[in-house]
Amino acid sequence: MLLANEIFGSPTESSSKPNPKLVKLGAVALAEARKQGASYADIRIGRYRNQISGYRLSPERGSNKTSEVPIVTNRHSFGFGVRVIVNGQWGFAASPIVTAEEIARITREAVIVAKANAALQASPVVLAPTKAYVDRWVSPFEKDPFEVSVDEKLDLIHSAASAIKKDPKVFAANGSLVFRGEDKYFASTEGSSIQQYNIQSAPRLAATAIDRDQGISRTRNYKVEPQSAGWEWIPKANLGENAPRIREEVLEALTAPPVKPGKKDLVLMPSHLWLTIHESIGHSTELDRALGYEANFAGTSFLTTEKMGNFSFGSDLVNIFGDRTNKGGLATVKYDDDGVLTTKFPIIEKGVFKHYQTIRDQAHLIGENESRGCCYADSWSSVPFQRMPNVWLAPGEQNVTPDDLISGVEDGILIEGDGSFSIDQQRYNFQFGGDAFWEIRGGKKRGMVSRVAYQSKTTDFWHACDGIASSSYWQQFGAPNDGKGEPEQINAVSHGCAPSRFRQINVLLTD
Amino acid sequence: MLSQQDAKNLIEKVLSYSKLPGCDVSVNSEESAFIRFANNGITTSGYVLEQSVSISSTTEDGRRGSSGANELTDESLKESVEEAERLAAISRPDPEIVPALGQQKYPELHNYDAFTGSARGDVMIPHVKAIIDCARKNQLISAGFIERSARAVAIGNKAGLFGYHTLTDSSLSNTMRNKGGTSSGWASQTSVSLKDIDGESAGRISSEKCLRGAGAKRKLDPGKYTVILEPSGASDLIGFLGFGFGARQAEQGQSFLSKQGGGTHLGDKLFPEFITLRTDPFNPKLPALPWTGGGGRGGFGGGGGGSLPTDKITWIENGVVKNLSYDRFWASKAGKQPTPGPADLVLDGQDHSLEDLIQSVDRGLLITRLWYIRFLQQRTLQLTGLTRDGVFLVENGKVTDPVTNFRWNESPVRVLQNAKRLTKSARALGSEGGSTIAPAMVVADFNLASVSDAV
Repeated sequence: MLLANEIFGSPTESSSKPNPKLVKLGAVALAEARKQGASYADIRIGRYRNQISGYRLSPERGSNKTSEVPIVTNRHSFGFGVRVIVNGQWGFAASPIVTAEEIARITREAVIVAKANAALQASPVVLAPTKAYVDRWVSPFEKDPFEVSVDEKLDLIHSAASAIKKDPKVFAANGSLVFRGEDKYFASTEGSSIQQYNIQSAPRLAATAIDRDQGISRTRNYKVEPQSAGWEWIPKANLGENAPRIREEVLEALTAPPVKPGKKDLVLMPSHLWLTIHESIGHSTELDRALGYEANFAGTSFLTTEKMGNFSFGSDLVNIFGDRTNKGGLATVKYDDDGVLTTKFPIIEKGVFKHYQTIRDQAHLIGENESRGCCYADSWSSVPFQRMPNVWLAPGEQNVTPDDLISGVEDGILIEGDGSFSIDQQRYNFQFGGDAFWEIRGGKKRGMVSRVAYQSKTTDFWHACDGIASSSYWQQFGAPNDGKGEPEQINAVSHGCAPSRFRQINVLLTD
Repeated sequence: MLSQQDAKNLIEKVLSYSKLPGCDVSVNSEESAFIRFANNGITTSGYVLEQSVSISSTTEDGRRGSSGANELTDESLKESVEEAERLAAISRPDPEIVPALGQQKYPELHNYDAFTGSARGDVMIPHVKAIIDCARKNQLISAGFIERSARAVAIGNKAGLFGYHTLTDSSLSNTMRNKGGTSSGWASQTSVSLKDIDGESAGRISSEKCLRGAGAKRKLDPGKYTVILEPSGASDLIGFLGFGFGARQAEQGQSFLSKQGGGTHLGDKLFPEFITLRTDPFNPKLPALPWTGGGGRGGFGGGGGGSLPTDKITWIENGVVKNLSYDRFWASKAGKQPTPGPADLVLDGQDHSLEDLIQSVDRGLLITRLWYIRFLQQRTLQLTGLTRDGVFLVENGKVTDPVTNFRWNESPVRVLQNAKRLTKSARALGSEGGSTIAPAMVVADFNLASVSDAV
């Protein structure tokens, strides 16, 4: 940690240039790679910090007395990874020992990997051009959450969890505050030298109720939008104010009647819809999937390349953007892990599929001459590849409210929060649960129902979208752990949207 | 990788910096090499070294703080200890903390293979080449992944506990797709030793599936079918079943082993006579550790699942639920011996081949693997997922036409209850990361809930 602290410095340190010590270490890899015959090389030196403070309140064995168990964890990971292109083939190697000697050695290892692999090359790597940048960027935040005392964090969570557990009919309450800090330095043989720091904050509360006689267990989550933001985000989550609501809703959910399955209209709130956007649009518009690079693991995509620019994906209300520049987005950074300046670009315009998410070594494969800045590796020890930007649904026309959407529904379900999610390897057939469900009958939101899932095909579903609320209701939920790649990597990504309505979707009763 | 003496020195150094009464340390040192390929060529690959130290400090009154870092200089280790102690000092007493474990006698496991531990591209590339050659010969497109890892792990604490172990693992999986994108096939292999990996046979199996699936697909209605799950799918489901054996969850009404109205199903015969599910860390095909958990005194709370010597445990014997898992805290409350949770799972097979299973089915579906498995209800272990990379109709004991993929909604509990016949067991690689010793199985009334057009 000491070297990491020294070279990454204070996160609020203001300078427009990277720390000279990082530049010096990075230069070792670039010089060694050139010496070994690499036509391109880059190095990422990274420090990743993860802090969890939380509480679990649950009954002791054989009694109703509550056991209150705290958790406090701080983890750091620090190291570097070097990528090279030799004989037209990528090579990669990584180590946690950040010294000039080890950087030179590991660079040679990356060259060995590339040379060995060149024997089984499908086609030489071609990189889309990018400018060289020398810059330092820090994600916007007001207060560094790592500087806030754990005492204060535990108090906040304990107070909210206790409010949930106040009703003895509630079985358990959980809460946590998770903070993530990502320091990264990138340097390439093309002249870029970029230092970035990104902070993410994610609060969460959950209540569980059980009915032993009926053999039923229900959990209601209060998931606040995880944000690229500092401690200032936490008070805005209003954990204390929402705890009683979660308490009441989990008890209502426990006795809620099962849904009557069949075709119904759905009104999906942002806390739920973000995941449907993620799975059905975010992943289907990844170019590496469309080109077959994920065929063995995450899968391919029904959106094959001839569909770009002309395929009707959804109704003309559906406008989707890929964006690594929007405030608060978990995938927001200034430069991606190819050293490309990030951007906002249309993925779907008025229902028509327009653009894939791309990185430098893919752009030429679809006739494009620049990357859309979607390269990311989840650790210093991971190979950078194409990952999802924030993919968000544009809000609807002014003055459309969630009540307007509900009032147009005779027989439907309103869904809040994410639950079970599963989608096939080409992103056609999906089935989603949720966290809480309310019946809509005669244009009004009624009582809760239970055991709901809906199943559809991606394009059928998005063509069934006939209402999107206005920008006043737009929220940006997301997840820190989207999985893809071999070895599997995670990615943090946000999917902003406003409440939206979908007509005649197949609703299932789950066991 | 760290030697035993290096690991011991490192742990002793960390403990020497500790001022609080309790300090648990775990160390991981790992070297891995991997190659990824797609569109009949290598795409990305790498060689990665990793190391980390996790420290959990405990005060006299049971307050705990944890830190983790991977700079192993003296200064960094000292700072990590101080950080864990600072966090412990401002945390709150954990009512479920258990005393530190003293010296333990860990079993000797033999799952380190030196050949695997040093393998690089020259060993792995020929397997990739065999698959790509097979794809080209059959005018198919291959994608896949081969990796090997070698780890040294160690644990220790202030109460005299120390353990050290080295292990290796390896795997190969590959997907073959035809050029029209109308068919795909998949095969995988996994073993502690890379010598057991054979790219030629993995390529042959996946290409045969892809070629067999290339014809017009039968569109069957969703519904309940007799299915033959190949070992990969069985392995995934067994992995999910492992989540359900916690005594705490079962006693508190949150598990499939909770009885309606109270009590548990321990001792009940829930499954057919031929179902026996065990933890077996001594199986040399499994990358098991000689202790449970990651070291330390447990996860959320100090319940103490970790650092106990691992051992054989029978979860289901001849259909009867034989054990629940107890961490040290819950065991102390229940008056039971601590019993680690299900890991290193083996579902005993029967003396049948996959061909025998196919011949035993009048009408059913042969399923290559399962995909995107998620809980619908964790209490009941109700899951949803899809089939992938080869579904074939079986009629009168013979594989006939390729069939579209399906979404399924099922629970591993019902799957084992409805199991009719098993092959011999072997180590299998599930799609969701679970790897167990599992057989292929014939299962009646498997709920295929909707058709998936994906290939």
